[in-house]
Amino acid sequence: MNFLNYIIRRLLLLIVVLIGVTLIIFALLSLFTPEQRASAFIRDIKQLEHIDSIIKTYGLDRPIFVQYFNWLREIFKGNFGWSTTVSRPAIEAFKNFLPNTVELALFSAPFIILGGIWLGSVSAVHHDKPIDHFTRFLSIVGWSLPTFWFGLVLLMVFYGYFRGLFPPEILGYKAQVFVESGEFVRYTRINTIDALLNGRFWIFVDAIRHLVLPVITLTTIQIALVMRIMRSSMLESLGKGYVLTARAKGAAPRTVIRRHARRNALIPVITVSGWLFAQLMGGVVITETIFNRKGLGWWWAKAATQLDIPAVLMAVLFNGALFVVINLIVDLLYAYIDPRVRLR
Amino acid sequence: MIFLKKRRIVLDFEQHPRLKEFKFSFSKILRNPLSFIGLSLIFLFLMIALFTPLIAVPEKPEEPFRIPHEGYSVVPKPPSPGHPFGTTTKQYDIFYGVIWGTRTAFRIGFMVVGSILVIGLVVGSISGYFGGIIDEIIMRITDIFMALPLLILAMAIVTALGRSLDNIMKSLIIVGWPIYARTIRGSILTIREEDFVRAAQAQGAGTLRVIFKHVLPNAIYPVLILASLDIGAMVLTAAALSFLGLGAQEGYADWGQMVSLARNYIVGPQGQPFLYWYVVTIPGLFILFFVLGWNLLGDALRDIFDPRLRRK
Amino acid sequence: MRELQSAESVLEIDKLKVNFYTYEGVVKAIDEISFALEDGDTLGIVGETGCGKSVTVLSILRLILPPGRIESGCILYGTKDSCIDLTQKNDEFMRSIRGNDISMIFQEAGNALNPVLSVGYQVSESFLLHRQQELCESVLNRIAEKRDRLSAYQRFRTWRYRRKLRKAEGNLLKDRHYGRLLKVEALRWSVDLLRSLGIPNPDEVVKRYPHELSGGMQQRVVISMALGCNPAVLIADEPTSNLDVTIQAQILQLLEDLKERYHSSILFITHDLGVVSEVSDKVIVLYAGTIVEFAEVRELFKNPLHPYTSALLHSVPHLGSRERLESIGGNVPNLVSPPSGCRFHPRCPHVMDICREQKPELYRGMEGADNRHLAACFLYQQEGVA
Repeated sequence: MNFLNYIIRRLLLLIVVLIGVTLIIFALLSLFTPEQRASAFIRDIKQLEHIDSIIKTYGLDRPIFVQYFNWLREIFKGNFGWSTTVSRPAIEAFKNFLPNTVELALFSAPFIILGGIWLGSVSAVHHDKPIDHFTRFLSIVGWSLPTFWFGLVLLMVFYGYFRGLFPPEILGYKAQVFVESGEFVRYTRINTIDALLNGRFWIFVDAIRHLVLPVITLTTIQIALVMRIMRSSMLESLGKGYVLTARAKGAAPRTVIRRHARRNALIPVITVSGWLFAQLMGGVVITETIFNRKGLGWWWAKAATQLDIPAVLMAVLFNGALFVVINLIVDLLYAYIDPRVRLR
Repeated sequence: MIFLKKRRIVLDFEQHPRLKEFKFSFSKILRNPLSFIGLSLIFLFLMIALFTPLIAVPEKPEEPFRIPHEGYSVVPKPPSPGHPFGTTTKQYDIFYGVIWGTRTAFRIGFMVVGSILVIGLVVGSISGYFGGIIDEIIMRITDIFMALPLLILAMAIVTALGRSLDNIMKSLIIVGWPIYARTIRGSILTIREEDFVRAAQAQGAGTLRVIFKHVLPNAIYPVLILASLDIGAMVLTAAALSFLGLGAQEGYADWGQMVSLARNYIVGPQGQPFLYWYVVTIPGLFILFFVLGWNLLGDALRDIFDPRLRRK
Repeated sequence: MRELQSAESVLEIDKLKVNFYTYEGVVKAIDEISFALEDGDTLGIVGETGCGKSVTVLSILRLILPPGRIESGCILYGTKDSCIDLTQKNDEFMRSIRGNDISMIFQEAGNALNPVLSVGYQVSESFLLHRQQELCESVLNRIAEKRDRLSAYQRFRTWRYRRKLRKAEGNLLKDRHYGRLLKVEALRWSVDLLRSLGIPNPDEVVKRYPHELSGGMQQRVVISMALGCNPAVLIADEPTSNLDVTIQAQILQLLEDLKERYHSSILFITHDLGVVSEVSDKVIVLYAGTIVEFAEVRELFKNPLHPYTSALLHSVPHLGSRERLESIGGNVPNLVSPPSGCRFHPRCPHVMDICREQKPELYRGMEGADNRHLAACFLYQQEGVA
C-alpha cells in the first residue's frame, strides 16, 4: 500500500513538472509574433492563407495565459498541432520517430553503463597506478570529443575508407523497401527486433551495421560520465570500514571488491545512469543529425532551427515526462539495492 | 595604516590554513601527469590567444575575425606554403581560422561560464542561506530546467533571438545557470550547519559578513571545479550549435563552423577517401585539445578537492 | 627459522617497524616495538589517539595498506614447536589466517558492517571462507539423515559430491547445487552463533540489515563475525568506545565470557584506562609508536614507572577524589620527525641529557623484580635490561 502511495505521489509530481516546463516554453513563446504561433494550429499548407482567421479563432492575440489554457485544452483533446518540418501532425511524427530513438538508446545504454561501471572500478582499484591514469585519460579524451566531429571522422574512415562498411542512416535501400512492403510485419517498429521477429536475419544484420557508428560515438563520448562517478564512489567505498572488516575476515580481494565494495559504490551510479538513459531516450540531437538517423533528436533539431513550435513543445513535454518516470525508476532501483532506503 | 599592518600579518603567516591548502593542492596538480598535461594545453592555447595577431596577421585589422579567402572555389586545397593547413571550401584559410578561433573559444568559455557562475552564485546563495519559501521556489524552477531538453531548448532560443554567436552564448547562459545554483546551494546548506559558521554568528557577525567571509570561501570549491569542466563543455556545445548552422555568419573564425564547412568533404572521391582529411581534422583537433585541457584540469581538481579522497 | 621466546606465547611481535610514506614525509608510525601475547591472556594496549595502537594490530593481520609499509621486524604466531613469521607470508596464506586463527573486532560497529548486505550473510561469510569442509560434512550429514526419502539421482549427486569433498579441490561454493546448501547451512550456524552470544531472536536478526539494529546489537554482530571460526587470537580495537556506558559493560562482560568459552587470547586496544583495568591481565602503554611501559594491570595502576604513564593516570578523574586533574604539557609529537632519543623527552618532567640522545630500552622496574614490570626510561637504567 505504501508502495502504491509512493508511485501515485510521484505521478502527481509528473503533472507539476509538465505544467512547469510548458509554462517556461510559453514564456518563451510570448517572444514570438501571433503569426508564428498560429503555425501550431495549421494542419495544412493551404490554411496559411487564412492565418488571420486562425489567429482570431484560437485567440493568439489574446494574453499569453489565456492562450496557455487554450493550448492545454487542445492537448487534452489529443491535438498536438501540426509539425511543419515534417509536414504531418506532431503526434503522428512522434510515433514515427520514437522507435528509431529507442533502438539507438537500447543499443548504446548497456555499453555506456556497464562499460563505465567496469572501467570505473578498474580505475579505482588501481588508484594512482598507470592503469588508472590511462583509463581516466582515455575517458576524458572521449568526453572532450566534439560529437559532430567524431561522427564525421568515423564516417570518413568506416564509410569512406572501408567502402560503406558501416553506413549512416537507419537501413540500406533494399532493406528499407522490404521493411515497408506488406511482407514485413512491424510489431514494434524497432527494426532490429522486428527483423528477428520476422525471421529476416539479413535485415537484422543491415540494421546492426547502421547502428555501429552511432553506438560507438555515443559510447566513446558518454562513458566518461558513468566511469567518473563509479571511480570516485568506488574509491570512497574501498576506504570504508566494512571493506577492512571483509579483509580481516580473510576474504579474497576479488570478493572484497565485488561483493562488499562494488554494491555500495553502485548507488550513485544509478542516478547518473538514469539521467543518461533519459538523455538517450529524449533524442540525441547531434548523433542523429550526423548519421542522418531519423529519430526524435533529428526531428527536434530540425524543428528547433525552423521554429516548428508544436514539435518543440512535444520535445519539452516528452522530456519532462521521461525525466519524472526515469527518476521514479531510479528511486525504485535505489530501494532495491540499498536496504537503508525505504520508500516513503 | 592599521589596515595595512593587519594585512601584512596575515601574509607573513605562511601557515595560514587556506594558503597552506592551496600550496598543497597546487603541488598535487603539478605532480599528477594528467592535470599537468591539462595545464600545459590550456597554457598553450592562452599563448595562442595572446599572440594571435602575430601568429596570423589579419588582412583587414578592423575585422580580424573574418577569415580571408581567395576566390570562391568550393573544392578545398591541401596545405601549401601560403596556407599551412590548407583551405576549406570557398577557399577560407584554415590556419587563420583556427588561430583566431582560439580567441572565439576563450570568449565563449569565459563569458558563458563567468555569467552562469555569477548568476548561480547569487541565486544559490540566496536559496541556500535564507531557505524557506524562496528556496522552495528557486529549487522547483531548477527542477523544471533539469527536465528540459537543454540542447533543443538552446537551439530554439538561438533561433528565436536570431542566429549569431552572441545569441548562442545567451542561450547557453539561460540553460546553464540552474545547475550552478543547485551546487552552490547544496554546499552552502552543509557549510551553514558547520560549527565555525555558528561560532561566527554567535560572535554577532552580520548576514553578509557570514556569507562572504565564512560560507562562500568554503562552499565555492565544488562550483569552481564544475566551472573548469564547464568551460570545455560550453565551448563544445557552442561549437555544436555553430555546426548546426546557428552560429555567426559564414567566414567567421569559429571552430564549430569550420567543421560544418567541411561537412561535404568528409569522404574524398573514389580511390582517395582521405583526400580532404585536413578540412575536417584540423579544426576538430583544435576543439578536442582545447576542451581536453579544461577537462583534464577540472577532473584533477575534482579529485584533489574531493574531501572524501583528499590526503590519501 | 625463528622461535617463540616463551612456551606460553601464542603471538610475539619482535622489533616491528611500520612507516607511512605520505605527502608530508615518512611517518614513523611504529618504531621497533616488541611484545608477546600469552595463551589465554588478555593484553591491553593503551595510548592516546594516533600513538599507533591500530597500526600495530592491523600490521599483525598484514592489513596495512599503501602508503603504509612494514619495514622490519617479525610477527611470530603459533606454538613453541611450530611457529610462523607472518611478515614473511604471502597474501593467500594471510587470508587463511585472517578471521580464522586471528580475527579482529573493529571500533564503530556501524562502519564495520556493510550497509547493503544482510546480517546473516555477513556473519556466515567467515564460515563460508574458512569452514567449507565442516559445512560440507554438516550438509551431508543432514542429507544422510533423510537419505531414504532421496531419489536415486539425488543420491548419486550426494555420492559424487562426497567424492569431490574428499579430494577437496577448488572452491566448493561454486558447485551449483551444493553451493546454495552450504550457504543455508552457514546461515544456520550463524543463527546458533548469534544465539550463543545472547542476541534475542536470532532467526529474525539474520534477515535484517545493520541499520535496523541498535548500536549494542551491531557490536555484538561484529563480535560474532570475529568469533565464528573460533580464533586463537582475538584483536579488539576499541570495541566499546562508541557505546553507552551500560552497553559498554555488557559488551565487556560478553568478551570476558567468550574468552573463557573459546580459550582465546585477546589483544585489547583502548584509550580508556577504566576499560583496560577492567578486562586486561597485562597492559602495554604506547606513546608515539613506542612502548613506554609494560606491566600487570594492578601493578601498573598501583605503581606506574614511566613518567608518561603516571601523567596519564593523573589526567583521569577518580571518584571521590577532589584533586585537580593534571594535563600533560606539550603536544603529541609529529611522527614525520619524532624527537631524538626518547620520544617523550620534550614533555617529560624528569628529562635528563641522555634522554635526548639515546633511545631507552625496556628496563626492569625494581630491584629483584622479575620481567613483569618494564619501563622504557633511563630512570630505571641501573636496574638492567629486561
